[in-house]
Amino acid sequence: MSAKKKENLSLLAFCAPALVVYILFKLFPAISGIFYALTDWNGLNKTYHFIGIENFVELTGDRHFWRSMLFTFKYVGVLLITANLLALLLAVFIESRPKGKGFFRTLFYMPNMISMIIGGYMWNFIFTRVLYYMADNWGMKFLDRSWIGDPKYSFAAIIIVASWGVVGYLMIIYMAALQGVPSHLIESAKLDGATNLQCFFRVTMPMIRHALTICIFWTLNSGFQVFDVIYSLTGGGPGRATQSAAINIYEEAFSGNIRYGYATAKSTVLFLIVLVITVIQLNIMKKGEQEL
Amino acid sequence: MKKKKIFALLLAVCMTVSLTACGGTKEEETQKETTQISEMEEAAEDTDTKVEPAKEAELNIMMSFPQYMDQWETYCRQFEEKMLEEENIAVKVNLEMPSSDQYESVLQARLTGDDAPDLFTLHSNNIAAYYSAGNLTDLSGEELAGKIYENVKETVTTDGKLLAVPIESQAWGVLYNKDIFEECNLTAPDTLEDLQQVCAVLKEKGYTPFMLAFQEQWVPQLMTALTIGGKVSGEATDWLNKMYADEGSYAEIADIFDVIDVIMANGTERAMEEGSEAGSADFANGKAAMYVQGTWASGTIMTTNPDMKLGVFPLPVNDNKECTRVNLSTSTTLAVYPESENLELALKFANYVLDDEDSSALFQACSFNPLASCHNYESASWVAEASEYVAAGRAYQDLVLPSAVTDEQGKLLQEYYVGSVTKEDIIKTLDEAFQNANKMNQ
Repeated sequence: MSAKKKENLSLLAFCAPALVVYILFKLFPAISGIFYALTDWNGLNKTYHFIGIENFVELTGDRHFWRSMLFTFKYVGVLLITANLLALLLAVFIESRPKGKGFFRTLFYMPNMISMIIGGYMWNFIFTRVLYYMADNWGMKFLDRSWIGDPKYSFAAIIIVASWGVVGYLMIIYMAALQGVPSHLIESAKLDGATNLQCFFRVTMPMIRHALTICIFWTLNSGFQVFDVIYSLTGGGPGRATQSAAINIYEEAFSGNIRYGYATAKSTVLFLIVLVITVIQLNIMKKGEQEL
Repeated sequence: MKKKKIFALLLAVCMTVSLTACGGTKEEETQKETTQISEMEEAAEDTDTKVEPAKEAELNIMMSFPQYMDQWETYCRQFEEKMLEEENIAVKVNLEMPSSDQYESVLQARLTGDDAPDLFTLHSNNIAAYYSAGNLTDLSGEELAGKIYENVKETVTTDGKLLAVPIESQAWGVLYNKDIFEECNLTAPDTLEDLQQVCAVLKEKGYTPFMLAFQEQWVPQLMTALTIGGKVSGEATDWLNKMYADEGSYAEIADIFDVIDVIMANGTERAMEEGSEAGSADFANGKAAMYVQGTWASGTIMTTNPDMKLGVFPLPVNDNKECTRVNLSTSTTLAVYPESENLELALKFANYVLDDEDSSALFQACSFNPLASCHNYESASWVAEASEYVAAGRAYQDLVLPSAVTDEQGKLLQEYYVGSVTKEDIIKTLDEAFQNANKMNQ
């Protein structure tokens, strides 16, 4: 056996346990999901019929699904910018502090340790009780808004809570990248007369581009699958005003008409959309990194 | 060399001795066992009656109301004792109570994953769907069938088969605070005009007429449940049949929006921020005089304010008194899985739920309404008040609409409240939802 083959075999042996788990619990359910998308299974009956691409054809005219998809795109777009911007600002702020780095890092990372379902319910209480109390008793009338009941404000409320939940995690990635920027590069740029802002955009940012790639990939991926935070905060309401694609799929499978096959067709479409977008994003960002 | 030989000899002696010792021990043990068995046999022969060991069995039950966990656990233990005493079956009941939010998805996963519980609760509206999927046992021939009140039995019967044990059943309409009504010299309204008059007087006296708690979609949906039910039972009697035949429209019953408008215009503020439980608590504390909510909310209301005088009246739809009726419905029921390995035992439990001796205590502890002849406890004053309407013939059986349509009604009424849809939008969307549901069920 050649050395190369031996190496490959040993690599496979190391990967095997994780690979088996991945195939059993991720790959197999995903592929079987695609199969059910071609059936009329209602999730209850023991039998189902193969109906070809009928579910996908019906999906093209499902305005509730496309409305939820549009909402998801809007959510991902806004979260991508706000969460990454906030995380980067916090990372730079903490890294630039001579003291108290550990305290601030823990403080901002803490929300990440709470399940977003619980976080959502906590914020639901804040929006529906605490803010009104402040508005009524402390004269802070600007807080007197229907934060989760009015579609004008409920989107903002969701973005606030989602950002609160993810910023800590992204901040840690940015902090790790910032620590890897060689200080002599910044010092020499300053000697050449660069301002702090110029140093940040011309030296630091290109050096932490790989972190940006990871953070954008992560935000995109988790953003398209958003369920917990919206489910616990607004339940997708009022009506369907804040319904994400994942909530729409969940409702299709488990309430109302109970159409499991149709719901899996929807999740297959969502999967393909996320796949295409993340592959494009990774290619563009990686290309940019190589050019540096 | 000699040393080695001596060492080997010693080892051989040790091994032989230890083997003999082992043999000796085994022989002793065998002797002991034989003696014990013969002693037991002698003892058994001495006694006149032979006691057979209890047959062991396990029963898995899944229920959707974790708030009554203690009461049902106690009931399950009682069942275990009863089975051991009367049938000599040592049954172990495993009671699962997933959260209400997740219950249906957990149940579906268990049913499809060949891991079905022996008994499970389900909403009466889902009985037909679960029955057609082959997940429900026909209980018509069981003892319990003879005990359930006829009007309740109808709500759990499909194709002439009794498919579940009703657990939560109620006559419901609008809850009202009797103290406030007495103070304002008001009586329960019979027509929409009366209701408008009641609202005007309440406002004049400084009270908010209606409690609005629309955060959860099922709560605003209660308004359509009551108004459509009243309208269909009093005037548009063929509307539902026409809808199922794709020949009807919500436009034919569009006057249901008149009373919905009155409720929304005379309600508490921040309705979308108010959950059902918070709404019940606020209503109990006198924040509003009326609340469109079922009698199932009485637990929270009476816990918050035990001195409250709670009443129930039917919601008027228009000025035709014939349409003003209370809704008779069953929500939670208990079904038996037909392929249960312990089907006989599962049926025994289903019967035990309506046991002549023990059922009343359970239903009373959970604040459920009496629904069978075995229930001999006095019902709460508000239940009695609603029952008076039933006795006077001013009641209707809850309409069975497709679940997808019911869900849609709740969503649309939320949007109607915040002003993002009009009545025309609602009529159009509900007609479509009904037609889609018909298509699905063909």
